[in-house]
Amino acid sequence: MPIETLIRQTMSGLSMGMVIFMIAVGLCLIFGTVRVLNMAHGSMYMVGAFLCYWFNNVLFQHFTGSFWVVAIVAPLLVALVGLAVEMLLFRHIYSRDMIYQLILTFGVVLLIGDLCKIIWGVEYHLVSYPRFLDGAVNFLGITFPTYNIFLIITGVLVFVGLWVLMQHTRVGRIIRAITYDRDMVNALGVNVRRTYTVIFVLSCWLAGLGGVLTAPINVITLGIDAEILIECFIIVVIGGLGSMAGAFVGSIIFGLVNSFGILIAPRLAIGFSFLLMAFILIIRPWGLMGKPE
Amino acid sequence: MSIQSKVFTKRGWWNWSGTWLLVVLAFLIVLPFLIKSGSLSSVIEMMIMSVAACGLNLMIGYSGMVNFGPAGLYAFGAYTTALLLVNTNMPFWFAMIAGPVMTAIAGIIIGWFCIRLTHIYFALLTLAFSQLIYTIVYKWYGFTGGDTGIVGIRVPDLLAPLNHYYYFTLVITFVSIGLMWIVVHSPFGKVVQAFRENPERTESIGVDIKRCRLKVFVLQSFFLGAAGSLYCGFNHNVFANYAHWLKGTEFILSCLLGGIYNFFGPIVGAAVYIFLEQLVISYTEYWPFILGIIIILLVMFLEGGLAGFISEKFHIIRMRYDDTQG
Repeated sequence: MPIETLIRQTMSGLSMGMVIFMIAVGLCLIFGTVRVLNMAHGSMYMVGAFLCYWFNNVLFQHFTGSFWVVAIVAPLLVALVGLAVEMLLFRHIYSRDMIYQLILTFGVVLLIGDLCKIIWGVEYHLVSYPRFLDGAVNFLGITFPTYNIFLIITGVLVFVGLWVLMQHTRVGRIIRAITYDRDMVNALGVNVRRTYTVIFVLSCWLAGLGGVLTAPINVITLGIDAEILIECFIIVVIGGLGSMAGAFVGSIIFGLVNSFGILIAPRLAIGFSFLLMAFILIIRPWGLMGKPE
Repeated sequence: MSIQSKVFTKRGWWNWSGTWLLVVLAFLIVLPFLIKSGSLSSVIEMMIMSVAACGLNLMIGYSGMVNFGPAGLYAFGAYTTALLLVNTNMPFWFAMIAGPVMTAIAGIIIGWFCIRLTHIYFALLTLAFSQLIYTIVYKWYGFTGGDTGIVGIRVPDLLAPLNHYYYFTLVITFVSIGLMWIVVHSPFGKVVQAFRENPERTESIGVDIKRCRLKVFVLQSFFLGAAGSLYCGFNHNVFANYAHWLKGTEFILSCLLGGIYNFFGPIVGAAVYIFLEQLVISYTEYWPFILGIIIILLVMFLEGGLAGFISEKFHIIRMRYDDTQG
């Protein structure tokens, strides 16, 4: 394999991985603390992507800086959707059997999916690259799209930001404590339920951000929610359910397996990831960075 | 509950259920003379779905482990039958038997890995295997036809009319559900329920839990495969989306809708699910939206499912009856 191809695939794998990291880490955070595998997480991503299309191509199409306004507004709107869903529905099922949690979040997937269909239709939508980032960068004689590099940087920034939040703030300490022993945290007088809401809203905000940032490199249509959800499942399983660092490592591995898998067998690329997921679950169910229960 | 009412339920149970069974069977036998062929195919779908849901419930309801990828096994049965019928000269009967048997063999292999895990990890691993099957089916054009699927599968002339296929499905459905009833009420079935309630204790009295779980996994694979084969013969086409995880949630939902802690729950759930789907689709294209609302109502207010709800109400009726007798 020529060295250029190697570098090119690595870069494209990394940029893909970093975007999915923003979404997967939310799934991971919710699972780590609330112990619910939230299938509606992919829907939050889809809402973000649709909002990006809507603001960019319909509402503010003559306004040049619209992408950046969207990048701030859309994730906040998604976070609001997440808040509504958590307060109305998910709050009531935290102590129920796993299957009821799964199926309820699945019900929300169907609801949000059809609402998107009602509002935005079944067409395929494209969003153009934002200005300043639509060019290409020359690096070691190989050209990369600037946008991919922007995605990698953003992904790393999100990871660092979350890491600081977890390690050096009060909220972060509470979240980590809940991961270990929520009853004890509750007994110490922390409002665990409110923390759940905070985590939920934060995760939805990240999913919305991921949706906005991937909009220029993806086709926006119905069904991307299920697609991204499965990819997030793979990532959190590889990294370890509930481990943030695991989600980061898992995203990188997932991105690389995909971008090199495409070279080897273009059609079966996603199959390699499922194989990896199954393999990890069999030999090390708690994932690369997780801890055995 | 008084001792008397226990005795009453035990004695009355067989009469009650046996009578109802005969009534239902008689109703289903005369049904083709009463309704249009469009509705008849819905009934066929209901029966096929109830075999799948009932099989899946052996895993979800009786052993308490959530198989999140039933669609993979269902599609495995459907594709086995379809491929045998299209590519070889095997008789139809052989292909119909080969579907569930091959799925059971696949179930041994997949289950061997899956049963090592529990809870969410089990659910995710079954999902991973199911999606692997989906990827193979969807992408391997040369063998499975990819996203065009396999169309125009021939069935013998005897089964070609809808009426005849209806009776064929009816027989298979009753035999399958009867077999599951026997399994569930056998000592093995009791052991399976025991380890759902308390795995440590069951293990400590000398039950090999993993072996038991594997058996349940293979059994559910067999019945999911049987449902897939039946559907293949009914529809004459198979498509890749049979293996998609969204298809799998239909089976899980049928189980939950009917009630997973009742043997007849999944059957009721499958029938109600198909009925609602056909009904809503004739009015609006937003079936998923309605389904989402149904799911929310189900989870919030109807934990035992429909069968659980009914048996609870019947229980109250029975208790009242006892009170007047006593």
